[in-house]
Amino acid sequence: MGRVIQDSTTLDVLSKLNRRFGPDDIAEMVHLQKEFQIFSSDRLLEDSFKLLGIVPCDRLERERWFKFLGKLKDYESDLPDVNGYNRVILAFEQALTVTPHIPPRPALPVFVDVHAMAKDPRVTFSLEGTPLIFSVQPYRILSIPTKPGRVAREEAADAAKERRAEKSKK
Amino acid sequence: MSLSAKANGTSMEPGSETLSGVYANVEAYYGARVAKHGATPLGVDWSCQATQSFRFVQLMRICDFSAPFSLNDIGCGYGALCAFLAMRYPESRIDYLGVDLSRAMISRARRRFQSPDRRFAVGKAGPRVADYAVASGIMNVNVGYSRAVWEDFVATMLRDMRCTSRRGFSVNFVTETAVARTSAGSRAASLYRTNPEPWVRYCEQELGCAVETIENYGMREFTLLVRCG
Repeated sequence: MGRVIQDSTTLDVLSKLNRRFGPDDIAEMVHLQKEFQIFSSDRLLEDSFKLLGIVPCDRLERERWFKFLGKLKDYESDLPDVNGYNRVILAFEQALTVTPHIPPRPALPVFVDVHAMAKDPRVTFSLEGTPLIFSVQPYRILSIPTKPGRVAREEAADAAKERRAEKSKK
Repeated sequence: MSLSAKANGTSMEPGSETLSGVYANVEAYYGARVAKHGATPLGVDWSCQATQSFRFVQLMRICDFSAPFSLNDIGCGYGALCAFLAMRYPESRIDYLGVDLSRAMISRARRRFQSPDRRFAVGKAGPRVADYAVASGIMNVNVGYSRAVWEDFVATMLRDMRCTSRRGFSVNFVTETAVARTSAGSRAASLYRTNPEPWVRYCEQELGCAVETIENYGMREFTLLVRCG
């Protein structure tokens, strides 16, 4: 997201995620998780999303999406000693595992959101909230920090300029 | 007579000529899908590998894996069931025959999976009698016909499966109560939705089989496990 993949791809992937983990399809996802352990520490996150078909249509963008997922390993999360990549796996694993309860409680849908990295650089997961202002439907909320691509590119250019300036001083 | 015709008390009976047209259009539809999406779940109208495999899990419940058996896969597409069987039942000896109306699908299936125990044929029904038959999703996309004609097609497919299965067969259908939606971009209006009851009755009364219905596996559909006497 941000610098790594195009804005339109980010929107496309978020749309796919929120449809598959939304209220209409969450029961299907729970069954798929139970049968195939789609999200697990034994499986790469990239492979989980491939299995679910949550990938950009464009081949180049798909590679960038996988690259972005890999970069989440460098992100922090709201859990100590758990990086952003593993936090996403844990979050989906938790959201799709229904614990026995009487009377049975259906799984809550998961809303996948993004937030400004400047405000919070961590991948976060909250157990319940109402992220859609037009709906009272409760969701679990997974949020990924991001920054606009242009800002990220400008920051990278500034950093490179500083490095060159330091080098020339020496 | 189709279920709709029976329910309506009409005598309009789709003839074999109409059914030939249905087969031709089904072939054209799936030929176009695989040309566009390749040998992938999208190419056979499923949203992803996980949901495609989960349907195989339900369908394969008809089989007794304690001994070798033969299997006809009707509407096999590009042969995705072969990959599933290799992953899920690597030790089982299964004499597999995939059958599909689409030459394009069979061509891709042969390239990927052909072996002495994994064979493929172009056709509408199993060319041999096997222990079991399965059909995943072949009743779902009505390629532009009336409900009566489509149900005649469904009944014909079920009868063919009964005639070519020694022990039983399994099929899945989209549930009628499903919200108008579809995976993989098919036109929702073209989905054939139904309830288990009429097809359970058909298999029991017309085909002389015992039927087990599997529902509530998280998808808006049901699977019939049809055991032959």
